[in-house]
Amino acid sequence: MIEIAGLTKIYGRGSKAARALSGIDLRIGTGMFGLLGPNGAGKTTLMRILAGVANPSGGTLRIAGNDLRTESGKRAMKATLGYLPQELGLYPELSAAQFVDYMAILKGLGEPKARARRVAEVLERVALQDVADRKIKGFSGGMKRRVGIAQALVNDPKLLIVDEPTAGRDPEERIRFRNLLVNLAAERTVILSTHIVEDIGQTCRDLAVLARGRIHFRGSPAELIEAAEGHVWTATSDRLEEPETGLTVISMLHLADGIQYRLVGPRPASFPNAEPAKPGLEDGYVRLMQSA
Amino acid sequence: MRSLRSKGAALKYSWLCYRRESLWFPAAFLALFVVILAILPNPGLRYGIARAYLGFIVPLIGGILAAYSILDDPALELRFATPERPEATLAARLGLILLVEAVCAAGFQLFARALGVDLSPLGGFLSVQAVWLVPTLALISLGCAGSLAGAQSVTGAFLVGGVWLVQLLMKSWFVANARELYLFLGVFSPDSPALVANRFVLFAGSLGLLGLSTVLLRRPERLL
Repeated sequence: MIEIAGLTKIYGRGSKAARALSGIDLRIGTGMFGLLGPNGAGKTTLMRILAGVANPSGGTLRIAGNDLRTESGKRAMKATLGYLPQELGLYPELSAAQFVDYMAILKGLGEPKARARRVAEVLERVALQDVADRKIKGFSGGMKRRVGIAQALVNDPKLLIVDEPTAGRDPEERIRFRNLLVNLAAERTVILSTHIVEDIGQTCRDLAVLARGRIHFRGSPAELIEAAEGHVWTATSDRLEEPETGLTVISMLHLADGIQYRLVGPRPASFPNAEPAKPGLEDGYVRLMQSA
Repeated sequence: MRSLRSKGAALKYSWLCYRRESLWFPAAFLALFVVILAILPNPGLRYGIARAYLGFIVPLIGGILAAYSILDDPALELRFATPERPEATLAARLGLILLVEAVCAAGFQLFARALGVDLSPLGGFLSVQAVWLVPTLALISLGCAGSLAGAQSVTGAFLVGGVWLVQLLMKSWFVANARELYLFLGVFSPDSPALVANRFVLFAGSLGLLGLSTVLLRRPERLL
């Protein structure tokens, strides 16, 4: 269980101080938890604080009973943590098996035979067993991400934090990654931070939306969709239209009889033929961002 | 036994991860000074070159390598998310540099002795080792602490280079006014009565800077 209360993070001092997080309150249990937000919302800052690589400026944070404001609490938490940062750096001269083994040692897995077994298991889990002895420098971006998840899993973590894991990946790799995360969440807490709404919709039953350092929504995907009820429209036009202020164009579909717009916001005056549409998760997110 | 084997494996990986191109730096200087030593005919000049390599060059290289040892790590954020203690990180990274430096210093001394260079004006065997080891430890700890304090490797490297140059150029002032803090007292004044105090102060200062590095490593977010 993760308990966050009044968490703040301020970078810099005096007139140059920038508030990255303001009074975050969250309780997160077992399963898959999604943290959604635009770029610069404070997601990576929050992930780093949860992973113990950044210190909060205020508030309290406990993970499985460990107080992350203390060094001993951080060390105890890190022993049961799996972390995949947004900017994943690996040692290119090591093979996948060597890298995961090295991280296992740093995480305190001492017994060599058990460690070797565990390394083989996690590499198989991410489908890298056939290239386990190849140097990482020859890997594709997707394979490097899978090495990243293998090292995160090697200590069988109780908490897995993945920050923007699918950004820049091809569709097949994204689906593979999402499925892997869902399977992993059956037995642990997985926090998925992303700005890709689809990733959250496909994987999480519980989510929070972070914008400008504050939590603007906490609930299920269905509840986020509800937030857009009555604010989603479809309209067709035979030419490119500029929608009025307050409306967001979600999509523009070029059809034989014109351009079909999907819009989120108040009833569009510039589209007299606009009809209400059934909202989706992306619509709910956009509606929330309009009012954030 | 199990713990020792894990430590052995961790050291092996530290070595494998070590940026090999930075090994060219000490190797190139070693080769250069070996060649210079070999082509100089005058025993006095040979002694001067041997003294310069051990007393000035080895510490400078150690300091610069140390400045790049922690932050030039592609997997820095992953490492910070493990329960590895900062002391262990420092021991693995700086220990490796000290090992490289020791190999260079030992190799150079063997070569110098083979050419008949007499290093006895610097003192006995242990004193000769202290001539390179004490300033090397001081500049290694300065380079490491400087890069962590400035959150940039280049800050530590500049600090090391600056201190090294100022101390070399202001020899007379340091010998007259701050002998205890002078990195090169063992090279220039091996018989100085202040040498014991000098080595003690430099060693204690090195420990202090390593302590500061440990504290700075406990706040890793500045370094990412």
